[in-house]
Amino acid sequence: MERRLQQIFFVLSVLALALILVAEWQANTPSWKNYQRSFLQLEAQAEPNAAAKAAVLSTPLEIHQVMLTGLQRVDRCTTCHLGVDDPTMKNAPEPYRYHANLGPHIPSKFGCTICHGGQGLATDKESAHGNVAFWPNPLLSADYVRASCGRCHKEGDVPGVPELTEGRHLFETQGCRGCHKLNGVGGSIGPDLSEEGASLRAPQWLEQHFLAPNAVSAGSAMPNFHFTRDQARDLTYYMLSLTNQDMGSYYASVRLIPSPEYGRELFTEKNCIVCHSVGGVGAKTGPDLLGVTKRHSNEWLDEQLVNPQLVYPGSTMPEYDLEANARKALLAFLTTATTEDMQSILSGRKTALKPEDVAIEAGRQDFARFGCVGCHGTELQGGVPNPNAQGGEVPSLLHVSDDYTKDEVIAIIRNGKVPPMDNPAGPTPPLYMPSWKHVLSDEDVNRVADYLWSKQQKKESW
Amino acid sequence: MNLIREIWRSIVRRDPLTTDKGKSELVFLNVWLHIHPAKVKKENMKFRHSFYLGFITFFLFLILLTTGIALMCYYRPYPPQAYQDMKDLQFVVFMGPFLRNMHRWAAHGMVICVFLHMCRVFYTGSYKKPRQFNWVVGVLLLLLTLGLSFTGYLLPWDQLAYWAITVGSNIGSYAPLVGGQLRELLLGGHTVGEAALLRFYVLHVAVLPSLLILLTIVHFWRVRKDGGLSRPVWTLKPKTESLVTIGAPTVVAPLQVEAASKDKTYGLMEVVTGKPIFETITPEEEEDTVFSYPYAFVREAVVLMATVTTVMAMSLFLNAPLEQLANPAKTPNPAKAPWYFLGLQELVSHSALLGGVVAPALMVLALLAIPYLDRNPSRRPADRKLILWLFALFVVANLALIIIGTFFRGPGWALVPPWVHVTGGTE
Repeated sequence: MERRLQQIFFVLSVLALALILVAEWQANTPSWKNYQRSFLQLEAQAEPNAAAKAAVLSTPLEIHQVMLTGLQRVDRCTTCHLGVDDPTMKNAPEPYRYHANLGPHIPSKFGCTICHGGQGLATDKESAHGNVAFWPNPLLSADYVRASCGRCHKEGDVPGVPELTEGRHLFETQGCRGCHKLNGVGGSIGPDLSEEGASLRAPQWLEQHFLAPNAVSAGSAMPNFHFTRDQARDLTYYMLSLTNQDMGSYYASVRLIPSPEYGRELFTEKNCIVCHSVGGVGAKTGPDLLGVTKRHSNEWLDEQLVNPQLVYPGSTMPEYDLEANARKALLAFLTTATTEDMQSILSGRKTALKPEDVAIEAGRQDFARFGCVGCHGTELQGGVPNPNAQGGEVPSLLHVSDDYTKDEVIAIIRNGKVPPMDNPAGPTPPLYMPSWKHVLSDEDVNRVADYLWSKQQKKESW
Repeated sequence: MNLIREIWRSIVRRDPLTTDKGKSELVFLNVWLHIHPAKVKKENMKFRHSFYLGFITFFLFLILLTTGIALMCYYRPYPPQAYQDMKDLQFVVFMGPFLRNMHRWAAHGMVICVFLHMCRVFYTGSYKKPRQFNWVVGVLLLLLTLGLSFTGYLLPWDQLAYWAITVGSNIGSYAPLVGGQLRELLLGGHTVGEAALLRFYVLHVAVLPSLLILLTIVHFWRVRKDGGLSRPVWTLKPKTESLVTIGAPTVVAPLQVEAASKDKTYGLMEVVTGKPIFETITPEEEEDTVFSYPYAFVREAVVLMATVTTVMAMSLFLNAPLEQLANPAKTPNPAKAPWYFLGLQELVSHSALLGGVVAPALMVLALLAIPYLDRNPSRRPADRKLILWLFALFVVANLALIIIGTFFRGPGWALVPPWVHVTGGTE
């Protein structure tokens, strides 16, 4: 027995040693070393003489990493993708091929995963490409990788990515914010989309969801907007770009220089002229902006653009979701803005603006900007299906004045309303009128009501 | 030369082994040989008596201590670096995954073995006089083990860790009056966050291990001072009272000097007499003993190597889980506590106060009080049928609740069999 025990002890000790050796062998032979060896072979082929070949082949194998503090990530992709910044590797096989057309996006400053997705910290192919459990951002396929541009280029046109511009435009004009919050502004019927690009959803899922919401998400309250395939792709691009991650000052700026030209674009795009004038040209709802940058400090004005009510209690100016550089650009434009600028902006509008139409135009802007059009339609026609609500769809607003007074409508906008049910025993209709009193100022609500009244049609009297 | 000899003599202070004094000092002056009795009963060394569960638990703790200290070199206890350090262990630290796996599997193993050890001690009635207090120390060690495992669970700072600790610490807050404050003290806030991670880290690497080591010393010392391991139950004859020598002297005799007798008593400095408080062995039993060294030592060494190889083999083939970075805004459905608390969570799902506070409190109190409540002097299983059935019920109920909580609970804590795959439970 004693002898047997000693033998067992000996065997177990040998086994333990063997296990340690296996673990060490495992740790010593990671797949990336094979990739580096083949790369060195490839490089050595190009060398002219044996000495140079030997020198290349004796390069130590080591993990390469790019520390990107501004992007809060560490990318080790270049451990295997060794030729990304070497133009002589432009015809090399993957994973060694040169990455052409990077423009200013040099790998040492941007890394790889900010555009391509995947797991930068990983050092084996499966994990690095993110095709593993519990990694939310797998590698984006070639179809979708350009969507990542929007993660830093948060405003304006991105050269070569019209999908993003179009996706953003659709989002703001189709009333998505009526149900979805984005960066704190929007309704709460659907999920907050501020981090949609960082969610686990595959791009294909999103695209399918835009084409037919119920096909991929049974029982979804989202109506089918009958988007075209292109529009679904555009919106998917936009969704993929939404990460809400702070990109750091080096990366965040869309326009690295907040120029007056960019400010002028914004002034036009955001329809500032609907409330403001410069030197008497424009609308009179808000103050005239001639010399406004001399009357107030830059800090004051910046704060006013971020949170109007905080600086100026009772201000009727809406909050705009503007980047820091966009605000700087607007102020730069305002220091130089002249009456001629205003004339040209006014004449560039599709419809001329009469003074009495100013409030109504502002109401129309609000109606679109806060997403009312998502359910009630761009022409107030309603018609979005809402199962088990009376009439089975979201009502048209073209005849509200027949059934309600203006004050009643204002109360409904402020407090929200649950639609009456067709069948009281049936399921609750998925869509309802949210309460807007914490989002819209009283002034905004009044303007929306004015806009609705301007559009009322008399019922045809049969 | 003299200096070297002097240094050597300062380390090994016994006389040469050629003298009787030297031979006895070999044992007396050696700490390892001193934790063991000089001789042990052959029967006590039989595997089927103790299954060496106490040793296995202790060896797992040694593995945890060594791997834990190594892991500390790679870990920063604040989010989100903590999670990044886990990824670095996985991808760039030499043998990092192996190290982390060993720590993980040894930790789970320790929770299991400490529980099995308790079951064995209960079954053999080894908590009875004179070993009552050592049972209490053992229960405290069980609680410390759970505490260590629980605090360690948070450190990877992934979704699994974050929500398991959120659920676990919520269970604690159901205690009336103090529950909320206790939770706040533990978390350093109202929710699991940076402060909680730092506190759990301090508890995990400093406070709880120190306490565990301290109590382990007491535990081992008491095993030795209570007369070594209890006798295997199969050696107990029906008339138990005469076999178990127990208790302090009933009559306190005045101190008197007496010559040391040949019987083994605690004739300390030949001034105190009386019967020993620990189990003694009769001269017949003396025949049945062997020296601890090498007989007990070689067995312990075999168990040590078996434990180490098992943990290493598991660590080669099974990877410790690591989910996504902790996200307080995304609650998994269902959010589950660590597996050993899932029985508790299952109870809480039926009643927060009864299941989360009353039941566990009663359970711990009952465990602590068992040696004092169980007045039956016999250790023979045949004489203790009722209490063994009760204990079996306690074990089975615990296991059943843990199994239900682990495998049969789906989104919304609804009853879902494990073979049914539920999709889309994230929102």
